[in-house]
Amino acid sequence: MSFLHIENLTKKYIVDHETFLGVDNISLSINRGEFLSIVGHSGSGKTTLISIIGGILKPTSGRVLLEGVDICAFDDNRLSEYRSRRIGFMFQFASLLPILTAKENVLLPGIFKPGQKTDNDTVARDLLEMVGIGEKLDSYPSQLSGGQQRRVAIARALLNNPDIILADEPTGDLDEETEAEILQLFEKINREQGVTIILITHNLELAGTAQKKYRMSKGCLVDI
Amino acid sequence: MAQISFFSVALKNLKRKTFRTGVLVFAIALLVSLLIFAISFTVSVASSLKKSSERLGADLVVVPVGARGFAEEFLLESKNTSFYMPGSIIDKVEKIEGIENLTYHTYLSSISGLCCDIMPTRIVAYNPATDFIINPWLQESLGRPLQPGEAIAGSGTSENLGLGLLDIEATIFDNRFKIVGVLEQTGTGLDHALFMTEENLKNIIASGKSPLKKGDISIIFTKLKKGYDPDFVGRVLEGQIPEVDVVARSDMGEKFISTLADINKIFLLTTVLASVLTTFLVWAIFSAIANERSKEIGIMRALGAKESHIVKLYLMEVLVLGLLGSLVGVLAGTYLSAMLAGSFSLLKNISAGLTGGQQTTIALIGLLIGTAICVTGAMMPINRIKKMEPLLVIKEE
Repeated sequence: MSFLHIENLTKKYIVDHETFLGVDNISLSINRGEFLSIVGHSGSGKTTLISIIGGILKPTSGRVLLEGVDICAFDDNRLSEYRSRRIGFMFQFASLLPILTAKENVLLPGIFKPGQKTDNDTVARDLLEMVGIGEKLDSYPSQLSGGQQRRVAIARALLNNPDIILADEPTGDLDEETEAEILQLFEKINREQGVTIILITHNLELAGTAQKKYRMSKGCLVDI
Repeated sequence: MAQISFFSVALKNLKRKTFRTGVLVFAIALLVSLLIFAISFTVSVASSLKKSSERLGADLVVVPVGARGFAEEFLLESKNTSFYMPGSIIDKVEKIEGIENLTYHTYLSSISGLCCDIMPTRIVAYNPATDFIINPWLQESLGRPLQPGEAIAGSGTSENLGLGLLDIEATIFDNRFKIVGVLEQTGTGLDHALFMTEENLKNIIASGKSPLKKGDISIIFTKLKKGYDPDFVGRVLEGQIPEVDVVARSDMGEKFISTLADINKIFLLTTVLASVLTTFLVWAIFSAIANERSKEIGIMRALGAKESHIVKLYLMEVLVLGLLGSLVGVLAGTYLSAMLAGSFSLLKNISAGLTGGQQTTIALIGLLIGTAICVTGAMMPINRIKKMEPLLVIKEE
C-alpha cells in the first residue's frame, strides 16, 4: 500500500443553486518521500485538492488514506491533530502572524501540539538557519522581505517534523531568483529529511523539477 | 529563551491596537467603577443603619409623639435636635406588659465656652443606674463610671473639634465640666455627642441657659422580655400612652431605607444600562476583531489549532481585558466612593463606613461582574471565529 492514497475524491460546491465540481473523482497514489508538482489554471481545483489532503476541507465523497487510515472520517479534533503532527502547510501569501517575531512564528504550531516544547530557542534558530535566515530570529514579518517571509513559513512548516509539506503556490509573488532559492530549499528538505512534498504552482518550469508532475483541469488530474 | 504560549499571543494581540484596547478597558472600568460606587453607597448606608440600631441595644425606642424623625436624626444622622417629654412617662412605660427593663436619655444642644470657639455639640445626659447603652462603652474606654462634673466625648466629637479633649475643662450652660476621655467609635450618631450623668442636669436647668424643664426626658430605650413581639408591644404602648411614638429596632431609619430604595432603583437602572452598553461595545469590537483576524485564524487552524485552541486564545484576550478593566474600575470606584461620600447628605450625616471584609467582597463582585460582562459580550464573536472554515478564510482577499 502506498504512503498516501487518494481514492475517487470528489468535491462539489453549490453556488446560486448551481453545482460545481472542484475535484472530480480523482485517484492518486503517492509514496513516502516523493516530490510531486501540480500545475493548472486558477479555479482548476488545485487548492481544493491539497486542502482536502491537508484536512482543512471535507470532500463530498471519496477517501484520503494516509498509511491506510482514512482521514476524511476524522472529526474536527482528530483532523487538527493530523494537521499538527503530519502536515506542514505553506500558502500562496505571506502567512506569518504580524504580531510575532520570526522565531515566535516558527514556534507557533508547537502551542497546538501537546508535549511540544515552545520555549526552545535552539529549535527555532536551527530551523531558521536551515532556511538561511538565522540572523533574523527576532525580526517581525514587516521587517522581512517576501522571500525571507516564505523562508520563515517553511521553517514553521518543519517545526513538528511533518510527513508531508503541502505548498500552495508558495512563490507566486516572488521574483525569479528568490523563487529558485525557495525551490532549492524544498528539494533540500525532500532529499535530506525525506519529507513528501506536494507543490502547487502556475510555473511549468518550476513544476518540472519535481519527480512526478501532474496537471489539473476542471477538477481532473492528469499526468504530464 | 523564546517564550510562546496562548497567553503571550493573547497579550501581543491586545498590544496590536492599543487605542482600541484602551477604549475597551476604559468602558469596562467605567462600568465597574459605577457598580462599585453604587454597591458601596448602598451597603454602607444599609449596614450603618443596621449597626446603629443594633448598637443601641434596645428593642423599642419610645419618643414624644411626632418626634420619631427627630429621634432618628439624633441617633442615626448626628443631627442636633432637641425633643422632650415628661419623665412621668417612664412609669407608664414600665407598667406595659412585656417590658423587661428600660433606661432613658435627655438630649441638650450646644456647648460653649471651651478653650476656644467650637461648633455646637450635642449633650446626652443618662441615668448611670439603669443605663445599658452608654455604660458598656464607658467601661471599655474609661474603666469607671462618670462622676458629677465630668463628661466624656464621643469619638466624632473629638474629631470634629480637632482637639485633644483629655483633661481639659469645658463650660457647659454655665457649669464647668472636666472632659475625662473619648469613647471608642460606635458607628452610631451618638459618636458626635458629649456624655454626662443626669445628676448634672439640675445645675444646667438652674443656670437658665437651657430650654430643658425639670423632670423632662427625651427618649426611653426598652428591652423586652423573651418571647414578646416588638411590634405587638409597640402597638400596645402607643395605644395606652397616647403621648408617645414607638419605634421598633427593625424600623429604625425607615426614612433612610425608603430613600435608599429609590436611590437603589436609579443605581440599578444605570448599572443595567451601562452593562448593556458595555456588552454591546465588547461584542462590536470582538466582531471587528473576528473579521480582521479571520485569515490568521485560518492559518492557525491549518497549523493544527483545534476549535478549543482558538476559543482559549481569544478567551484569554477577553479575560485579560476584563480583569484589567475591572481592576481599574475597582480602584476608581473605591476612590470615587471615598471622595464623593462627603457630597451626599445621606452619607454625610450618618456614620457610614465599610469594613475591610465588605470592601473586599464588593471589589470581588466588581471584578467578577466586569469580567463576566466582557466574556458575555465576546462569546458570540468567539463562537463565530472558532467555526470559521479554514480554507474559506485563508482564501479571503
